[in-house]
Amino acid sequence: MQNNIAETGNLETPYKTAKNCRHYAMCKIDFLDSGVCASGLEKHFVSFYPQGRMILYEALVENKISVTEKCVEIADSCNLCGKCDYQCYFVNEMRPTKVMEALKHHVETFIKNGGKIKLTKDDRILSEIKKIVGDNWATNDEAITVTYSHDLSPISEPKIPDYIVMPNTKEEIASLVKLCKKNNIPYTMRGNGQNLLGFAIHEGVIIDLNRMKTIEFDEKNWLVTVGPGVAAFDLQKQAQKRGYRINASEPAALVCANIMCSGIMSTFSTTYGINADNFIDAEFVDNDGSFFSLNDVSSPNLYSYKNLQHKSSPGICVSASIKLHPVTDDESGILVPFQTLDKALDFIKDCAVRHIGLALGVVGTEYISTFLASTKKLASEIKNIFINKLDIPYLVVVIGDKFAIHTISEMGFPFFDQRHFRALYLGLPSLKSAQWLNLIKELSDDEPYSYLRIKSFAELLETALFPSPAIYSQDIDPELRPFFEKLFARQEITDLVWLNMYRIMSTRIGRKKPFLPVLIYLPIDNVLINELKDKFSLIAEKYQIDNDFGFITPIDNGKRCIFEYDYFFDHNDPDEIRRIRLAATDANILVDEYSVKTGTVKGHPYVLYQGFCRKENLLYS
Amino acid sequence: MSVKNKPTIALTGVTGFLGSHLMTSMLSRGYKIIVLGRPTKEETLQERISKLLRWFGIEELSGQLELVNIDFLKPMLGLQEANYKKLSAITDQIIHCASDTSFAERKRDTVFKSNVNSLESILEFAANANVKFFHYISTAYVAGANVTICKECITSSTDFLNVYEESKAQAENIIITFCEKNSIPFTIIRPSIVYGDSHTGRSLRFNALYFPIQSLKYIKEIYMNDIKNHDGKKSNQNGIFIDKEGYLCLPLRIYLPKEGALNLIPVDYFVNATMKIITKASSGGIYNLTNNAHTKLEIISKYNEKHMKIRGVEIIYGKSFDNVLRNPAEELFDRFIEPYRLYLSDNRIFDRVNTDLITDNLYPPEFTYEIFKNCMEYANSVNWGESIFAEENKKNQQC
Repeated sequence: MQNNIAETGNLETPYKTAKNCRHYAMCKIDFLDSGVCASGLEKHFVSFYPQGRMILYEALVENKISVTEKCVEIADSCNLCGKCDYQCYFVNEMRPTKVMEALKHHVETFIKNGGKIKLTKDDRILSEIKKIVGDNWATNDEAITVTYSHDLSPISEPKIPDYIVMPNTKEEIASLVKLCKKNNIPYTMRGNGQNLLGFAIHEGVIIDLNRMKTIEFDEKNWLVTVGPGVAAFDLQKQAQKRGYRINASEPAALVCANIMCSGIMSTFSTTYGINADNFIDAEFVDNDGSFFSLNDVSSPNLYSYKNLQHKSSPGICVSASIKLHPVTDDESGILVPFQTLDKALDFIKDCAVRHIGLALGVVGTEYISTFLASTKKLASEIKNIFINKLDIPYLVVVIGDKFAIHTISEMGFPFFDQRHFRALYLGLPSLKSAQWLNLIKELSDDEPYSYLRIKSFAELLETALFPSPAIYSQDIDPELRPFFEKLFARQEITDLVWLNMYRIMSTRIGRKKPFLPVLIYLPIDNVLINELKDKFSLIAEKYQIDNDFGFITPIDNGKRCIFEYDYFFDHNDPDEIRRIRLAATDANILVDEYSVKTGTVKGHPYVLYQGFCRKENLLYS
Repeated sequence: MSVKNKPTIALTGVTGFLGSHLMTSMLSRGYKIIVLGRPTKEETLQERISKLLRWFGIEELSGQLELVNIDFLKPMLGLQEANYKKLSAITDQIIHCASDTSFAERKRDTVFKSNVNSLESILEFAANANVKFFHYISTAYVAGANVTICKECITSSTDFLNVYEESKAQAENIIITFCEKNSIPFTIIRPSIVYGDSHTGRSLRFNALYFPIQSLKYIKEIYMNDIKNHDGKKSNQNGIFIDKEGYLCLPLRIYLPKEGALNLIPVDYFVNATMKIITKASSGGIYNLTNNAHTKLEIISKYNEKHMKIRGVEIIYGKSFDNVLRNPAEELFDRFIEPYRLYLSDNRIFDRVNTDLITDNLYPPEFTYEIFKNCMEYANSVNWGESIFAEENKKNQQC
């Protein structure tokens, strides 16, 4: 029997939705406090989360796999609760529930039409794996394995692994490593599959760490020890409950995997640091299946850094002791507008050198408009308004206590404070048709953003935009509107501190198209940064790739910064994938050239497997 | 008069307000015009001029018009030697209209670059072309801030209200010195605040007089929307409401240092007077194109009350608002009029002996409600300039 579109009815829309899954794993964390897919929480395999079902459905429609036992179980386990619609719509403006329905329909139709469900037998290796982790936590069923064939990278080709294993202890991981080594089977660790370089997919065994979610606080020592399955969002949530903060990477990224691959970085890295600044110790299973801890005298020196692009993994990080940071009750966020990148860079450098603010980051209009707008269409309109009407091509996000915010005010920079931000955010749909924006532009002619100096500007903004959850939600899919109205009535969702500490502000950046960030470490040298920015843009233009400035965050007291430039691509367009690969190669070559030329520029891909290194070794050696 | 009998005029600033009106007026009077201009990122010079001509109702470029892409900041106007020589050979007179009209101090460098630094190449061109006249469109406000009577003579003031006035005064001095040294006959034409056509209200630019009115319009819209489409709480908090006659009652106090008035002239008067000056000019003539009938802010406020249906605007003289609790609308409006505040309190008297003599007692009209209404209705109809070329662009696309 053929599992094609024609036989299963009008599947174009669910199929297109499935094909457009970004694989960001945001359906695996409860970032909207709306709950997470129940079957995913129970079964743990990604296949039982909406993300996995999207891939499964795509594979079924494309006849890549047959309807198997696990396929039926996966389809049946979805109760069509619709939670994934909330999560995916917030991030990508997509509604996966249609795909979940289509998957169920596909399987039901297959069975109704007498289709034979494929039974997958255990082979010798799988039997041995199951002896280690138990029957429920290892499989070679293709409905499961296919859902591990993707990651975020446009560089890698999808690969269907042979086995998926979900260990629960470090001892199980050690045994798995020994088994694989003995049988000469390649194995790959997987967190939430967010690797940008294609390292989360492989043939052989995929070891999914998502069952290992232990979080143990040691408040006396300002530490929290996490298992390798803990996502940044979940850890931050626990830390916040106890009055602390961690330096968090992308919300769905697993903390240990993130340190391993690239080191934790965020706008808070200005204060909290990068790489080895973020932890005290970590435990590993080495490539022979033995254990070591970073603090052991005899352990490999993972604090060192080699400027090499191709390195092997030192082992599997099975736990890490992450630093907790204090939080004060007077923190707030502001957005400081700038007409040029140079002025924004001068500002963040000045702040970083003087230790003003906890988190600092220059962002472009693509970043800010994409985050603020509820839909892609509105984001595009708002981006134009920022550039053409408000004359704001760059903004600096600052999170700081009242003294930091007061100091910035004293420095003479007009800014959008938290109240302005909330009004702007919740009143955004009104902004696109606001005639008075023409007036604002005239005011800017007098002094940049002089309107922000008007004492009652917040009240004016509130009167003009009439910000409210209902106004914000007016462009949202009507079926989802009631949920979003409730969501946006919550304070934290428009709170710059919350949005930044949980890294929610950057979650929509791939909504229009998936993106490939070019990340580099370099001095805050305006000429150098502008030169690189222009050259990244030229590379993108050469290959006709959408591109934009990402962000810049100062680190190490303003001596260096992290610079992200983004290339956007359609992951369903083979020609665009070909072009993004060429652009990525050219960008890497460019970074290498500058690395040699300046002696101060470091490309991010070099950090792979060296995320535990000291930042001093990375930045200055 | 046939084209043959008219001088060929090289005109700068044609894409601006005054320059565009001068160009079309001179074309209609049979002059041959050489437009010295530049393209933008979006449009060629030809496209910019064609768009302007369509706005003036002139469908096709006639043989009277020649366009030359130039760069004031480059030697020989950025032209090849052959083209420069050819241009020099055919130019009889120059009207230098190009100007940056920004008042903002932060734009000092740009303003001086446009209004002063660029003079070197255009004056050098005037000398090389051996022109019969160099006419400079300046401003009546070069006289300086602290004079009572602004005479039609060289200014020596060093005290100006803003960088625009300062740059124009400096430019005048450079031009006069250069022209006298090189025996180039010249005139200086100094208009005051120019608004749209006094008969039709049409205008290409909506600054100066228009800014405060536009500001009030948008402030009104914000509060009308709050009252009509939302709960009106914000308006209520600030004592803003719609009265029985449908007027928006908007308490808005405008604080000015002293009583004074605006000196307003319509663009049609500017064009007609300038044409008379150009036709009859004698070298060294300085002409104030100003209005003896000044317009007090109270008058404009009264006009606006009737036109926009707004009540509550109050003008307060000689008092500081530093310790006064102000509503958001007042704060916004105040910020908006800041660059113009001193012009609203202006008491300067403009001497126009030279002008009266040369223009055969041609006077600008008094600024009546009818004129105000026409001007504001036109401004509104083109969304204060935002959609001014929309019709023309549409027609062009259809073509």
